[in-house]
Amino acid sequence: MGKGRYLVKRLIYIVFVFFIISILMFCIYKATPGDPVRMMIGDTGNIEPERYQTMYDQYAELLGVNKPLYVQYGVWISNMLRGNFGYSTQYKRQVIYVIGTPMLNTLKLNIFSMLVVFMISVPLGIATAVKKNSVFDKAVQVLTIVGYSIPSFVIALLAIFVFAIKLKWFPVGGVRTAGLEAEGLADALDVGRHMVLPVLVMSVGGLGSITRYVRASMIDALRMDYIKTARAKGLKEKVVIYVHAFRNALIPIVTVTTWWIIGLFGGSVVIESLFSWRGLGSMLLDGLMQRDFSIVLAMQMFYVVLSLAGNVIMDIAYTIVDPRVRLDS
Amino acid sequence: MAENKKKKRRKGTMASATERMLVGQNINIEEEEELVTPMQQVVRNFVENKVAMTGMFCFLVILLCCIILPFFFPIDRYYQDVTQANVAPGFGLMTPPKALQGNAMDISAGSTYSVGLDRNGNVYEWGTFPNAKLKKLPPASEMGKLVQISAGLDHVLALNEEGTVFTWGNDRMGLESIPMDLRMGDKVTKIYAGYQVSFALTDRGRLYNWGNEYLVDVRIPKEVQGNIADFEANTNIVMVRTTDGRLVPLTQKASAYTQIPEEIQGHVVDFALSDESVAAITDDGQLHVWGNNVKGTMNVPEELEGTPVRVEGGRYHFVALMEDGSLRAWGDSTFQQNHAPSISEKVVDLSAGYYGSYAIGESGKVYSWGLKGYLMGTDAFGRDVFRRLLKGGRMTLTVGAIAVVISTIIGVIVGGVSGYKGGRIDNLMMRFTEIVSSIPFLPFAIILSAIVGNRVTETQRIMMIMVILGLLSWPGIARLVRGSVLAEREQEFVTAAKSLGVKELGIIFRHIIPNVLTVIVVNATLDFATCMLTESSLSFIGFGVAEPNATWGNMLNSAKDSKVIEDFWWRWVFPSISLAICTISINCVGDGLQDAIDPKSKER
Repeated sequence: MGKGRYLVKRLIYIVFVFFIISILMFCIYKATPGDPVRMMIGDTGNIEPERYQTMYDQYAELLGVNKPLYVQYGVWISNMLRGNFGYSTQYKRQVIYVIGTPMLNTLKLNIFSMLVVFMISVPLGIATAVKKNSVFDKAVQVLTIVGYSIPSFVIALLAIFVFAIKLKWFPVGGVRTAGLEAEGLADALDVGRHMVLPVLVMSVGGLGSITRYVRASMIDALRMDYIKTARAKGLKEKVVIYVHAFRNALIPIVTVTTWWIIGLFGGSVVIESLFSWRGLGSMLLDGLMQRDFSIVLAMQMFYVVLSLAGNVIMDIAYTIVDPRVRLDS
Repeated sequence: MAENKKKKRRKGTMASATERMLVGQNINIEEEEELVTPMQQVVRNFVENKVAMTGMFCFLVILLCCIILPFFFPIDRYYQDVTQANVAPGFGLMTPPKALQGNAMDISAGSTYSVGLDRNGNVYEWGTFPNAKLKKLPPASEMGKLVQISAGLDHVLALNEEGTVFTWGNDRMGLESIPMDLRMGDKVTKIYAGYQVSFALTDRGRLYNWGNEYLVDVRIPKEVQGNIADFEANTNIVMVRTTDGRLVPLTQKASAYTQIPEEIQGHVVDFALSDESVAAITDDGQLHVWGNNVKGTMNVPEELEGTPVRVEGGRYHFVALMEDGSLRAWGDSTFQQNHAPSISEKVVDLSAGYYGSYAIGESGKVYSWGLKGYLMGTDAFGRDVFRRLLKGGRMTLTVGAIAVVISTIIGVIVGGVSGYKGGRIDNLMMRFTEIVSSIPFLPFAIILSAIVGNRVTETQRIMMIMVILGLLSWPGIARLVRGSVLAEREQEFVTAAKSLGVKELGIIFRHIIPNVLTVIVVNATLDFATCMLTESSLSFIGFGVAEPNATWGNMLNSAKDSKVIEDFWWRWVFPSISLAICTISINCVGDGLQDAIDPKSKER
């Protein structure tokens, strides 16, 4: 079986999983207490029951909640696939217009965290693997346990206390300084300043676990016979480590990293709510509080798609880093 | 296999000793080999791992604390007391300054601070101040020599020799506007600072009140005003004793403590109010108590020998001074309010307020008992952080442990069956595992909790969190078990079991699973920490275990506000530290176990 067919098979499977999860989500939402139509109408004061009923029917028609469940699902999923995420009862606008900025904000936060984590953890993991059992290695080992054990919000509280309140280096929360009318570079700098603490906090957990995985798989790789061969050939130690060993160590790293990235997006819910960062996470929480199902559903589907996309990327990455995967035995 | 053994020995001093022996004498190693079973070796490896052992120790300490200490430091789930809100950690609430010792004249216990006067009329303040303005005293030159002082929730009243009243501290809600009548003419004889209200009694038997009028309903009947000999107040009512020894509640609302026994009317010489009850001493030296028996305020000690001459009341306790000069206290014992000391000298003054009591001896020495402070401070509702920390720890650990048990059981069943059966069943189950693990964990848990959590009781909600965590976190363990089972199922003992006709389920769970138990234990340990973290995150953002149940996560909930982070550090520092230490030590243990067992060497 070739590489292409393998990927196609995986893709078909992932689409299948997507539908199963989407049905699951949809069922859960429909089982929610509370009436979205009532929520949307809000307080009307003293209104005649008949007029209220007409109004109710109109809104129900608009939201499409008066049809049977499977029709609602069909309508919803086809709309979803066409990028029509429904009507937000909270913002009184189409969801698609509401989620743009938050999505960008969340992406910014997560991408910067990923960059920070990779730039530090990969070299650190390799260094500790090479100097296995040294004092440096042991110190890093303990630190990484601490890193991935402490809940992110505890680190966040500490960071806010030290860097935002005591030292006043960075703002406590938000995406931009309120009332600041900056453009271009000044605006980017302002956003950047607001981003430092959330990114720092989100990186700590990842730093801990990724460093450990890089170290573990590097140690395994360095034990292999081909490393001895490479050294025996007289290759430079750097080449042996970074080309021969690291490339082979990448396979488990890819797996772990993908799961970590997916978890990162999910975990940013907590960080966003703590730093009042207007991202998808805080939007999800707001939506839940306000019973704005369209928003919640759209957010959830985003997370699902992200997670499945992570799976696909993982598969592709496997075929790149490990040629053996092509022959799906 | 040889590499396997060698690897085990790589660790620790014992192992290196063995290796040295290998070079030396051959006989010794063989003895060593026979003596050490794999399990013993694992235990030895683990014990030698300092990090893991430290983690084990820390975890056990935390676990024992959370299990045992709540019995000694109980806290009611629904307990709240705003008068004790946001008290900083410390035990200085009942420790008067040295300068006052041996020289005290009047002392009054406020909510979380106390004030005192020495014989020269100087003011002393100690404790935790709910309001910074409490420190801003009027200049001493203006006040003259003070003779009486009273501390309220967040304001202080003082009275000088000439009968003039001064107030400082909270100056809102009309507390700063001392009635005109008091400033001219009438000489004040008794003052009382209460919960945002102030009272003053004049020598002509008239009672004046000012401050927040919504909290205490004061209606002074015309026939009483002018005949008042004494008054007492709590957070709900004011009661006065008239010059002819009758008690009159100054309220129109009937309640348990307004049901004054008829037989004592006209004979009352002293009385005191707690929050829910009244104690009165009649002229024949009898003590009468009535009201609601909250926290034992009506359980007067039976061995109340002698006759009481004076009685004072705090929020949930009473203290009586006996004729022989000894003290008796009863009521709530949470903060040792009912542990009156035995004082050798004559007690000249007695005062009780909120959770503390003071007695002043003839020599001017101050004796105090009651709430000395909070080890870790209090939260916004006045709840003791330390006590909630213990309860919260128990909850967090329980939720994490049960969630892990659920996920491990599912994981072992799915992994075991799918690994052993293989083929189509394996494929189906692994696809299912993949679907579950594709579900974004935290958002999904939040949504489930938000949707299901609305219509269940508190206990059901806790169980729901456990189940959600358990149901979402089994895929990892299932994969691991499947992998290990795949490796084990080709071994001879499985073939033997098969040929003996053991049923498939028997083979999987009796023969194979015990062999991969170590892997399961390691993973369950690491999962335990993860589950605790997830529960805390959920509770932190308000979608996990909800108030009034405490968990380490929801104790941190209020710290989303940077004001809390800055001003009330104790409210987030202690839960954070406990949570961090606990998860770090569990991970250290799990890690140590993994190293000790080293499943990787087994695979190879």
